Amino acid sequence: MKTLNYPLVQETLYHEVLPNGLSVYILPKKGFQKTYATFTTRFGSVDNTFALDGEQPVRVEDGIAHFLEHKMFEEPHGDIFATFASQGASANAFTSFDRTAYLFSATEQIPANLTTLLDFVQNPYFTDENVEKEKGIIEQEINMYKDNPDWRVYTGLIDALYHKHPVHIDIAGSVESIRRITKESLYQCYRTFYHPSNMLLFVVGGVNPDEIMELVRRNQEGKTFGESPNITRTVETEPEQVKLEVKRSELAVSLPKVLFGFKETVLPADSKELLEKEVSSKLMLEALLGPSSRLYQQLYDDDLISDSFGYEYNSSGSYGFSLIGGDTKDPEALLSAIRSSLEAALEEGLNAEDFERIRRKRIGSYLRMLNSPEAIANEFTRYKFRGSDLFDLLPLYESVSLEQVNERMRDHFNWDQMAVSIVDRPTS
Amino acid sequence: MTATPFERSQTGRMRLHVMPTKRFKTFAISLYAGIPLAESTVTNTALTPFVLRRGTQSTPETLAFRERLDNLYGAGFGFDIYKRGDSQIVQFRLDVINDQFVSSSTSLLAAALQLLGEVVTDPALESSVFRSKYVAAEKVTLQKRLEAIINDKIRYAAERCLAEMCRNEPYRLHALGRLEDLPEITPSSLYTAYESWLGQAELDLYVAGDTSLEEVQQLASKTFRLPPGDGTAYTKPEISQPVNEPRTVTETLDVSQGKLNMGLRTNIGYADDGYPALLMYNGILGGYPHSKLFLNVREKASLAYYAASRLDGHKGICTIQSGIEVANFDQAKKIILEQLESMRAGQITELELSQTRAMIGNQLREMQDSAFEMIAFDFNAILSGKTRTADELITSIESAGVEDIVRVAEKVELDTIYFLRGKEAQQA
Repeated sequence: MKTLNYPLVQETLYHEVLPNGLSVYILPKKGFQKTYATFTTRFGSVDNTFALDGEQPVRVEDGIAHFLEHKMFEEPHGDIFATFASQGASANAFTSFDRTAYLFSATEQIPANLTTLLDFVQNPYFTDENVEKEKGIIEQEINMYKDNPDWRVYTGLIDALYHKHPVHIDIAGSVESIRRITKESLYQCYRTFYHPSNMLLFVVGGVNPDEIMELVRRNQEGKTFGESPNITRTVETEPEQVKLEVKRSELAVSLPKVLFGFKETVLPADSKELLEKEVSSKLMLEALLGPSSRLYQQLYDDDLISDSFGYEYNSSGSYGFSLIGGDTKDPEALLSAIRSSLEAALEEGLNAEDFERIRRKRIGSYLRMLNSPEAIANEFTRYKFRGSDLFDLLPLYESVSLEQVNERMRDHFNWDQMAVSIVDRPTS
Repeated sequence: MTATPFERSQTGRMRLHVMPTKRFKTFAISLYAGIPLAESTVTNTALTPFVLRRGTQSTPETLAFRERLDNLYGAGFGFDIYKRGDSQIVQFRLDVINDQFVSSSTSLLAAALQLLGEVVTDPALESSVFRSKYVAAEKVTLQKRLEAIINDKIRYAAERCLAEMCRNEPYRLHALGRLEDLPEITPSSLYTAYESWLGQAELDLYVAGDTSLEEVQQLASKTFRLPPGDGTAYTKPEISQPVNEPRTVTETLDVSQGKLNMGLRTNIGYADDGYPALLMYNGILGGYPHSKLFLNVREKASLAYYAASRLDGHKGICTIQSGIEVANFDQAKKIILEQLESMRAGQITELELSQTRAMIGNQLREMQDSAFEMIAFDFNAILSGKTRTADELITSIESAGVEDIVRVAEKVELDTIYFLRGKEAQQA
């Protein structure tokens, strides 16, 4: 077991890769009651075309990673939530673009709960009947999101930005696509993506790292897995241009919701560049559009935005885009006000004082995030799957330069790469 | 776990509660200001924190005020307005990092308390009343917030159900106030309302972090310029209301998914001895994924993605919420009513008891890892006048048996069934 020290953030991490390829990280938090564990596979909604060990590539149904996540909770003896409940653990799971995570938090019976987590995720049990039954539940989940305007405007923008890249497909799929999912297709995805060598276990809380690592080692030694599979993911070539300049959806909302964003044309060469790009993009967006920016205050004074206005930067090795917006009475006026102000900002660049202030702010919010075991486990896994380290962010925030951020800004805000998503009331 | 980790004192009208601890990377600061929920004050009280967050006497411009927050390493500053029992509570929160992680020359805790004191007791004024520009803008913001309630159909249905149920009590009021009051509010009328609010509200300041009661007392007495007087106590909420026949309220909106909600009077409040058994009642009925509602509405009948119950302990109200296909209304209602009946009949297994005890116990223990959650739990005692530590609550829950829960169930009365349905489905 390796010990990794991060003196800047006063954290110590313990790490080992087991013989079957499972990567295990343990972060002891002194004085904490709770233990939080995530068991995550590098299989998300974007992994929809893949080949296993040189076989023919297959294209699976939209929403299958999420469907699989639902079905993992069913075991031959019943629902695994009941087992966790008996052991006082609160369990859950989520599927994102690039991963599926299974998790629990508990204050007692940690060995039993950790064993349950490892065992249920490593024991798929799909039948024609239980797969069919799940379709009604997921259909209601899809319908719930269909009524949610924030979700609609968000997914609408990604759909407008991308032609081919599967990031534009809804994580849960559609009512039609999930109806075509079978137990055979679920098993196929399981075999491909749930091998320990494609997974990461993160345990954080008031734990003894030696004991936890020993428990995981023994648990894994008792199971047999085939050779670690060779997965080839295929992503179709994405054109540079956006798919749609404007995408509109209708829902009963009090005010129109608008999000606009810019699609990156140059993808990062490696994980280091990806991380630097993310850090400088977030600094740039906060400086230009955050609540303490001149532009934000001006838009608020002009009643073009409300407290809902915000931004996000989303990236991986194969896609990257910003999302900016919120509720507004006038999407066109908001866009044109932002455009003219951003053009001026691109000319001038950020000044050193604003830059330092925003750097401080980002460092503060990064350190505050480290109070949360949930955030640490989830963010650490996300960064690790992309080949970087959550705990390297502090030095990066400290070393990034004003010039880098100004360059990032001129690179990113390319009006030819912009798409807009609007959710508004039906016009009739 | 000890009895209570908070050390207490008082400065003028404000109670102080300080938890000295080195466990967190931040200082967590919460100020609770509560007054009785009433039609005549609800909108003014809701609007006040919106105006207060715009600037202080020493930093009157919003942009400069937000830069000041950025310079405190992006202190997380925010406020919430909610109703608990029959009180309307404004909660200000500040989360500022512990100086030891950054090279700061001044104490961040002192600077944070200085800022909060100014926000609450020394706001930006012109001609001895609130700045008209801020009042005008924040009236628009509050109006938008009230109008936006309809955007999130899950929340909308929950709040409509409560409003229908409590239509003859102050609790019908939304914590954010009433749209129709906004046009009449002027900078001068709001300032008068603010002064009276500050003179009457119950004030509780909490600080958790690497500090001491003496330090907080010394800082707070300097930075909060409160009107004279002593702190009193929160008034007891009205728990029992007569119920004749359950009322059914149906509303039609443009939605894909129907929302079936129910409101129950439990006739038991936080201060009552029956409260621990009420927690068990809610947990067995619908608080968790092992509960009756989740198992029967979702897992067995595949009717919903979510089907759960929630307890509003200070008001003694339990609510049920589910998202269903409109055509399945009768079936879902029947299944939910069967679960209520089985609670009354004492059809509760040993397994349900032990799972629910374990889950509630876990939540109460997990709380200790979050400064803000510990603060919120302690505030329950202030609000209700009933001191009950997490340990004591766990002990009571361990000893609550089927007969105690049935005693609760016998007191529970179904008051309102609320159904939100779509337009198209009505014709089908």
